[in-house]
Amino acid sequence: MLSNAVHIKKTRKQGILKLLLNLFFIVLVISIFLPIIWLLINSLKSNNELFNNSLALPEKLLFSNYVEAWGKGLFAYFKNSLIVSSISLILIITISALLAYGITRFNVKGKNIIFIIVLGGMALSEQVALVPLYKMLQTLNLYNTYFAVILPYIAFRIPFTVFLMRAYFLSIPKELEEAAYIDGYNSFQIFYKIIVPISKPIFASCAIVNLNFVWNEFLFANVFLEDKKIMTIPIGLMTFQGDMRANYTVLLAGIVIASIPMILIFLLMQKQFIRGLTAGSVKG
Amino acid sequence: MTKKIGRSLLGLLLIIVMIFMTACSTPNNNDVPDGEVTNGEANDGEDNDGQVEEKKVIKLFHRFPDEPFNSFIEETVAQYEADHPDIDIVISSAQNQPYKEKIKVVVGSNECPDVFFSWSGEFSERFLREGLIMNLTDAFNNDSEWKNSLLEAQVNEYRKGDVLYGIPFRLDAKMMFYNIDIFNENNLEVPDTWDEFIEVCEALKAKDITPIAYGNKNQWPSSHYIGSINQMLVNNEIRLKDLDPATGEFTDPNYVKALEYYQQLIPYFNEAVNGIPHDMARNNFAQGKAGMFFAELVEIPYLADENPDMNYGMFGFPLIEGEGDPTLLTGSPEGFVISSKTKYPEESIEFLKYFTGPEVGKKEVQQVGWFNAGVGIVDGLNDQKLLEAYEVIKNAKTMAGWFDASLYSTIANEYLTAVSDLTNGDITPEDAMKKIQKAAKEAQETYQSGANE
Amino acid sequence: MMKRKKFVPYYYIIPGLLMVLFFVYIPVISNFVYSFFRLSSYSAGKVFVGFDNYIKLFTSDIFPIMIKNNTMYAVISLIVQVGFGTIIALLLESKLTGRLRNVYRNIYFLPALISLTAVGLLFTFVYSPQVGLLNSLIRSVGLENLTQSWLGDSKIAIYCIIAMSQWQFTGYITLLMVVAIQNIPKDYLEAAAIDGAGPIKRAIHIMIPLVKEQLLVCSIITIIGAFKLFTEVYSTTSGGPGNSSQVLGVFLYQNAFLHDKMGLAAATGVLIFVVTVTISIIQIIVTKSGKV
Repeated sequence: MLSNAVHIKKTRKQGILKLLLNLFFIVLVISIFLPIIWLLINSLKSNNELFNNSLALPEKLLFSNYVEAWGKGLFAYFKNSLIVSSISLILIITISALLAYGITRFNVKGKNIIFIIVLGGMALSEQVALVPLYKMLQTLNLYNTYFAVILPYIAFRIPFTVFLMRAYFLSIPKELEEAAYIDGYNSFQIFYKIIVPISKPIFASCAIVNLNFVWNEFLFANVFLEDKKIMTIPIGLMTFQGDMRANYTVLLAGIVIASIPMILIFLLMQKQFIRGLTAGSVKG
Repeated sequence: MTKKIGRSLLGLLLIIVMIFMTACSTPNNNDVPDGEVTNGEANDGEDNDGQVEEKKVIKLFHRFPDEPFNSFIEETVAQYEADHPDIDIVISSAQNQPYKEKIKVVVGSNECPDVFFSWSGEFSERFLREGLIMNLTDAFNNDSEWKNSLLEAQVNEYRKGDVLYGIPFRLDAKMMFYNIDIFNENNLEVPDTWDEFIEVCEALKAKDITPIAYGNKNQWPSSHYIGSINQMLVNNEIRLKDLDPATGEFTDPNYVKALEYYQQLIPYFNEAVNGIPHDMARNNFAQGKAGMFFAELVEIPYLADENPDMNYGMFGFPLIEGEGDPTLLTGSPEGFVISSKTKYPEESIEFLKYFTGPEVGKKEVQQVGWFNAGVGIVDGLNDQKLLEAYEVIKNAKTMAGWFDASLYSTIANEYLTAVSDLTNGDITPEDAMKKIQKAAKEAQETYQSGANE
Repeated sequence: MMKRKKFVPYYYIIPGLLMVLFFVYIPVISNFVYSFFRLSSYSAGKVFVGFDNYIKLFTSDIFPIMIKNNTMYAVISLIVQVGFGTIIALLLESKLTGRLRNVYRNIYFLPALISLTAVGLLFTFVYSPQVGLLNSLIRSVGLENLTQSWLGDSKIAIYCIIAMSQWQFTGYITLLMVVAIQNIPKDYLEAAAIDGAGPIKRAIHIMIPLVKEQLLVCSIITIIGAFKLFTEVYSTTSGGPGNSSQVLGVFLYQNAFLHDKMGLAAATGVLIFVVTVTISIIQIIVTKSGKV
């Protein structure tokens, strides 16, 4: 009887706590969504409507803002981002996988030094390299080409990617390879017949985390890409802000379009995404 | 399958290694701009074999990526290419602020465009000092047809001494725009002097109407106020001496006075001046939310777009008694220069002549509402606003230039920063000028040691 | 370990190693060299000036402002992103939260997926004195005189930017902490529950110590991020009004590409290098010493 009362009291207390807790979470959800919903609403308005009352709902849904943003160059920026991201990703993953394989599977002279040098790259920030890189790219005639951003992206992402892959490769049992070795496979064959298939999950994680970086990167792209025709999305968006005249609602539509891909990829590939982020814990 | 992937990956890898090898073998400490080295893109036409007709590639870099201006430029260029089959013009563009950054970056490199936008005054003159842009004096003086087709006073803005280094593409000046309806409803007259101007502001404020719409988030708009006031207060010789980084000091007490005059206006601006961009302020003016707006003539088409029915007029910046020259018009033509490294100097000059000449000028004013320096471009134009604006520019004897573009970049930065702080009430005019004097002194040192190299 | 032809291993290692050396190390080293020169982007001259650039940097009026702004960014981010973010993570993982916990977690993480420029542009609007969400909300509840010019106010501009970053990245830290908490072996927590430890006690005495390492990592990336700060400021205020929201990264960029003082920019880069590398070394030492 007594214990029953305590139990009821306890569940009631728990119920209230649960309610409060969910209330707290919902308040947070609102604070996250508020600017985003406001963005969506205003991206469907005319400029004058935005000026008159940004809290009001649009009188007529102007999807034309999206069409205009897309036609105003966003399409080209998208294409450029796709080109830059895919080339960067393929090379980041390939080069890092080879490097990680090299240092985990061979007794190379200076292996530790090489490992320290590569990982040390994680501590070096892009800002510090900005001015010399810019001078180098000019001298190499790479300035204002896709490779002006692709090469630095690869170089700056290798250390982190190697770090993730190395840990994974070390966990792969060596017996598999030994067997293949006896079968007469050479090391390249072992690499892509045994290591690569087993490592698909870590490759996926690395790809997504690096994509999040490359897709959103601004500092290098802003300095190294000059021509509107090869700009990536983050800098392209900035050009929507005209100096003398900006079409604000079209800019807002542009922000929405630019944000969709990464959000979609996250929703579709949550598992890989989270694994990649947490394994390295390096902010994009 | 995996085998294939593996192979293609290896192939990619080889490419990378090769990039490295070429990269490593290129001396990367070669900072001397090398005019002989042809850049990759300009070479495209010549990589083909002799059978295909070779095109001369001229790179054009401008700062008008917005519509309809961008399309206008593209059409104009397409027309030129159609008339000159041997010429291929490659256009690229960037917005104002990025343009400033980017052109400084490319101008010294092998990537330098052949024909590019450049502000007159200090912005271009330092390129001239470094020998990066072409001296057009002889070409211009020896071609009387060219010379006679352009407004002389406007072309002179692209001279340093006798040296001509550029040709105007769009003429511009700053005027005070006012809402005629608001003025009439409140029985206000267009002010001539500063005192009358303040009276008008006071009267509007008393009626709860924002006297002046003003957005200084991007900091450059303030320089147009300060520049205009400086011209009235500061002796012209001293002013010009100070604009030259080699001799600039900004010690004249009238500079402080100018900031004080600016301060007088602060109560009459809308709120949150530093939080609002210029175009948002213009939008407020266009929607009748303010009595006046200090605007450029090139903004007339925007205003027409934002409120086609708006009834507005314009007047010159109110006169202030001072030691300066009140006849100076604030503003400056904006134009194009030619890189001294261009492979096709003659073709570039020929293109520039067309691009900034009266023929294009006529279309320019009809299609986008901008003037170039061509003679007779407004013949047959009906738009009263534009005709009024054109009169202002045509009658100007001397332009004072955009203040921020006339200054050495570090001084300009210090000036803009200080006025931004002044607008927020975070600094006094005296302290602001002290900072600017310090920046001027540093610029002088840099400049002199640079000249002594 | 396999031993084969001597040069084979280098096939694997050399591309990556060269890449990192060439595009990371050489620029960083060159940056040290540049910081002792005066050089510009468009002229050929390079003049040795000794410590001049450093003296200019450290004696500049803006220097204390930048240090204050970068530090404030670090401190507030530590409190909100790491502190509050961890609390959210603990609450999400509490038994009371129920099935919605993953939904909440994903929603909180959402802003971290949007690019910095897009968020910067969005918040330029949110903070707009005239059309902005904030002032519109304030007006709509009749508190007209509480409206601010936000990014246009020298006193609060940098805090507006900091607040924007908290909005964007708190959920990111929460996600990292949630995963760390999920990795705690269930037996520990069950054992604690049997011992009669309440949820709060359990959180403080059991969970936190077990996720200490992840907490340290989160703190480190937050601090390093604060000193690398660039896009957030560049896309909203560019350091204004005046210099009130200036930070090291933007100062570096503006000097290099706007005022043509690449030497001064390089010196600023060296300062960023020293700060970030020092913090990384501290992390390594702390982790290695096993104190975490």
